[in-house]
Parts: sequence; structure tokens; C-alpha cells
Amino acid sequence: MTPAAVGLPSILTIEDDPVLGAYVHEQLGRSGFQVTWCQNGQQGLQLARAQAFDLVLMDILLPGLDGLSILTHLRQSHAMPVILMSALGAEADRISGFRLGADDYLPKPFSMVELCVRIEAILRRVALDRRPEPPRASVPEHARVLHFDDERCDVSCQDQWAGLTRSEYRLLETLHRNAEEVLSKAFLYQQVLQRGYAPHDRSLDMHVSQIRRKLKAIGYIEREVRTVWGKGYVLSGHDEGL
Amino acid sequence: MKGFERLPGRHSLFWKLACLLIAFCLLMIWLSWSWGRYMEQQSAYLSDKSREILTGYAAGAELAWSTQGSAGVDAWLRRMAERESTWVGVIGNDLQSLGSTPLSDKESQRLTFLRGLDWPVSRHVIGLPWMKVPFPVDPGAGSLVIELPQRFMPGRYQLFWRVVTNGVIPGLFTLLLCIGLYRLLIMPLNQLREQANAWRADQLNTRMSRDATSRQDELGELGRAFDHMSERLQGTVRLQQQLLRDMSHELRTPLSRLRVACDSEQDPAKLRERLGREIDAMQRLVEDSLQLAWLDSETTPLPQEDIQLHALWDILRENACFESGWPASRLPCLLPADSWVRGNLNALAQALENILRNAVRHSPQGGCVQLDGCREGDYWHIWLQDQGAGIAEDDLERIFAPFTRLDGSRPGDGGFGLGLSIARNAVQRQGGRLWAENTGQGLRVHLHLLAR
Repeated sequence: MTPAAVGLPSILTIEDDPVLGAYVHEQLGRSGFQVTWCQNGQQGLQLARAQAFDLVLMDILLPGLDGLSILTHLRQSHAMPVILMSALGAEADRISGFRLGADDYLPKPFSMVELCVRIEAILRRVALDRRPEPPRASVPEHARVLHFDDERCDVSCQDQWAGLTRSEYRLLETLHRNAEEVLSKAFLYQQVLQRGYAPHDRSLDMHVSQIRRKLKAIGYIEREVRTVWGKGYVLSGHDEGL
Repeated sequence: MKGFERLPGRHSLFWKLACLLIAFCLLMIWLSWSWGRYMEQQSAYLSDKSREILTGYAAGAELAWSTQGSAGVDAWLRRMAERESTWVGVIGNDLQSLGSTPLSDKESQRLTFLRGLDWPVSRHVIGLPWMKVPFPVDPGAGSLVIELPQRFMPGRYQLFWRVVTNGVIPGLFTLLLCIGLYRLLIMPLNQLREQANAWRADQLNTRMSRDATSRQDELGELGRAFDHMSERLQGTVRLQQQLLRDMSHELRTPLSRLRVACDSEQDPAKLRERLGREIDAMQRLVEDSLQLAWLDSETTPLPQEDIQLHALWDILRENACFESGWPASRLPCLLPADSWVRGNLNALAQALENILRNAVRHSPQGGCVQLDGCREGDYWHIWLQDQGAGIAEDDLERIFAPFTRLDGSRPGDGGFGLGLSIARNAVQRQGGRLWAENTGQGLRVHLHLLAR
């Protein structure tokens, strides 16, 4: 995942429920993470301050010190990514979590697949942030090709500007840089909109919808943004497959 | 003009209080002024009784003078000295004593200022005033001069009267004013207190009395606000109980299915698949209920943005086609391309998605669901038309209540009857309206949304 870190990405899990904690510990370990599990809020904060973890995954309701307080303390000195999990699920909790600097919020119950997708999304974004921007992959010269203009935050095809907004441009550019690769919604939210993904959040879908309409309007049909159900989006030229 | 806007309304208590207090102040000032004057005047004159006695003395002196001359006067004066401790003399018109002893200088000097019986006696005079009482029968013959005895001095009860007029009476009036104010201001508050106490005792159905809420002033407003509040409270409690009952009922269904599966199923793979399905259903129920509760209880306005209806419909159509396997051509959008509304994207998307899901679920084989609408001034009036059987007229409003499932809907088709209530709450939260109508060709769900 992170080319900077040698070996497995390390994760600190702060979860007081023994059953869920043990399960998450085991499953994440199996998925290739180095997991440290801690059941107490106070201890968790000390651990997070003492060691450099790649990511902290914690519950909100904890004995000792609750998750939101840990987050507040942690953010005073550390910038490591934090995912909050909670059974409370209230919109207000989610909002206050993000306001305190959480990178994502996962309502309980969740599936391990969902958790892994979100962890990978964050780790990938962090890795991208650290890495210098790679030279853009050279696109085979077609008659109709998309030109990206970072200054204008817009794309053009045969001198016709699509008129993208800043977020739409960032999204299309991210998809373009990873063309033919399915990018998860969790990652796109982290990378483009810089926030966690929630089931009822339709901003990303709306941006995709607008990009499709705008690309169609300027007559660019070589590739399009496709939906891959249950996975995410891909900028692809193939009609079939996926 | 701002100062005028801040003036209290016509029915405000301010005017009542102002009138009452101004009238009271004027009354008190007038009372103390006029009554004080009256009392002062009254206390400046000799009483009728003392005048009578003094005139009687004069008559006696005249009698003594006219019958026995100086000797008679002397004798009379001696008799008088026994009765009165003050100086008494009888003088002629030449201001000389009619008795045998002539007047001393000092006494002569006092004779230069004598008061008549009907003159006011100043309270400010030093010592006792000297009175001149002419002989009653022949005033020209002479007069009685008497240093007024203390007991005849007017204004003996002056302090008492002063206390009465300046203390007791204003006190009594103020007490009356207090009672009036109490009745005007505090009695209605007592009613409010009783109402609040009734709530504390969980009697949410008690309401304010009619005269408390029909008042035009601020207290009437307060009473009406109280009534409104208790209505809202009662409604919330009723809804909460209903929700709890419905939710436990809804949860019991998957739980009992799980119980059965747990007891009978032998094949672990099948059991796992079943478990997954039931857990999904329960999770969806909890999420929908939470969503509904959140939409209902939250009062902060949702962040608004401009939403292009076509782009939104594309997302929803893509989802719906994936879920239902319909081709996109069966979900047309007839709106003009530049239809933009102002609202909250997530809430509006959820509302439309729930309505669309509902329409798809109730469509016949090969039916289509279309989005259409027209601009009405500052609003977009859009509607979603399906080709289903429609619903009974009585149920048009009921389908928006939580946990309502009509007889026709199949049990276990995934719905809990929350979708449309969530949709309605979501639309109302952004200032729109949502209602349903039978068109004959199917059900039409209308949305009234603020245009960009």
C-alpha cells in the first residue's frame, strides 16, 4: 500500500466490545495489516501518541475516554488518519466526528468488506499525498482526445470546453490518471471531496452524472465514466466487460 | 420608522398598564393636594362649639357690664379666671379695659392685633392667638378679649388626619391597585402554572381555559403558545409510541423467521444466506427509522444547493434500472433540459428515489414510470406518474404516515412503509410539498419545489 512504509501498514484499533474487537483484529490481520488492539480509551490515546500508526480505527463509546475526546486530543499533535465507528448512527454524530477531524465515519453494523474498502481508500489517499505527482500517462493519440487544463480546471475536446466545475475536474482527472481502474467510492470521496462516504450522500454520483452530460455535450464518446455496481467508478473505453 | 415598529401592539398589556398607572398617579396627586388643602382650611378655623362657648363668654361679659359696670366686669373676670387659665379681658371701643384695672403696656400691644371668631387661626403663630369677641347684643359697647385656651385651638387632631390623608388612604388605594394588577397579570400566570403542573403529571391532554387563550394581549399569546406546545408534545408522544409499537412489530417478523431458521435449517450455507438476508432487512429498518426520526426532529435548515433535475434523474434511473432490471427507456424524463431546483441534494435524491422505488414496485409488467413537470412562478411542480392500479382515495394521505402498508402490497417485498414518510419529511425539510393523486391511469406523486 504505502511505498514509504516498509512492511505491512499498521493499524491501531480501539474497540471495547471483545467479540467485535477480536473479529476485526483477526480479519484485518488476515487482510494484510499489522493490527494493535486496545480496549480502553485512555490507553488507546497513549498508544497512538507513542507509536506511529498508519491509521487509527476507533469506537465512539469507549470506557476511559470516549472516541471524540481521543480525536480532539490526538489532533492537537498528530495528523494520522482516523476512522470512527459507532452504533449511534445519528447524523449529528457523524457531523461532529468530521468536524473534529475524523477522516471517515463507519456506522455499525458494517461488513469487513466495507471496512477494508474504506481503510484502503484512506491509505491510498495518504500515499498519493506523500508521493510526488507522477508524469501523466501518455494517452494514445486519438483523433478525439481530452485535454486537461489545470489552470482553467477544465477539459477540452477539439477546442470545445466542457465547462466542468472544480470538483468535477478533480474527479475526472483522478479517474483519468487511473484510467481503466475501478476506483472505490470511498477512495473518490477521500481523494476528490476530502471527506468520508455515507450511504445517502449523492454528491459524487451527481458529479459523475454532470461529467457524463458535459462530455456528451462536447461530443467526447471515446471513453466514459462507468458505474461498477458495488465497487465504484471507472473511466473506460470499453463497452463490454466490467 | 424603526422606533414605531417597536411600539407594542394595540392589544398589548403595555397600554393597559400605562393607563392604569398614569390614572392612579394622577388620582393620588389630586387626592393628596385637594384633600390636604381642605383639611388645612378646616383645621384653621375655630369649631362651632368653641365659637358658641366664646360667644357665651362675651354675652356673660356684656351682661356683667350692662348691669353692674366696672365692678360687674371685675367680678365676672374673677369668675372667669377660675374657669380659664388664659388671659381674659373686657375692653371698650377705645381699646381700654372696661374693668377697674387698666391694661399693662404689653397687654395694650397685644390688643393691636386681635382676631375675630371667624378668622382663620394660623398654626404658625407663636403662643396662643388673642381673640376679640364683640358683645352679642350691642357690639358697639365693647368686646371680650381672650387668649384662646389651648383646648379651643383648632387642628388638635392634625397629626392624626395627616397620617390618614397622607398615609392610610394612599396606602389603601395602592393596595387596591395591587389587587387589580394581580388579577390582571398573575391570575393568568397561575393558570399557566397549573397547565405546566398538569404536564409534569403526564396529563398532556389538558388545555388552557377559553378566556385564557382568547385574550388579545401578550398573556393571551402566551396561553395560545402553551396550548400549541402541549398539542405538539402530545402529538410527539403519540407518534413515539406508535413508532415504537410499529417498529417492534416490524422487527419481530425477521426475528421470528430467524428463530424458525435457527430451529429447523440443517444446511449451514443456506442458514448463512438466510441470516444475511434477515440482518440486511433489520439493518435497513433501523436505518430508515433513524433517518425518519432525524428528519422529523432536526430543525436546523438543510444546506441548499442548485440541483439539475435531469442529472439527478440520471443517477436515480441508473440505480433503479440496476435494482429492477428495467431498461432505461421505461423511465423517461419529460422535463426541459434546463430545469433546476434549489434544495438539499441528498434529501431530494432520497425522496425521489423512495417515490421511484415505490412506483416501480407497483408498476404492471412492461409499465413505465415517467417524470414530468412544469414551472409555476418561483416553483417547479414536478410529478412522477406510474401505470399501476392507483390507490383508494381515502389512502392518498395515509400512505405518507410511517409504517403504512396498503392491503395490496405484498408482505416481505422489502418495504416497511417508511419510504414515503421519509420522502415527505425530506421534501418538507427543504421547504417543498409532496402529495399524491389518482389520475385514472395510475398514481401520480406531486412535488412542489423551489426553483433556482
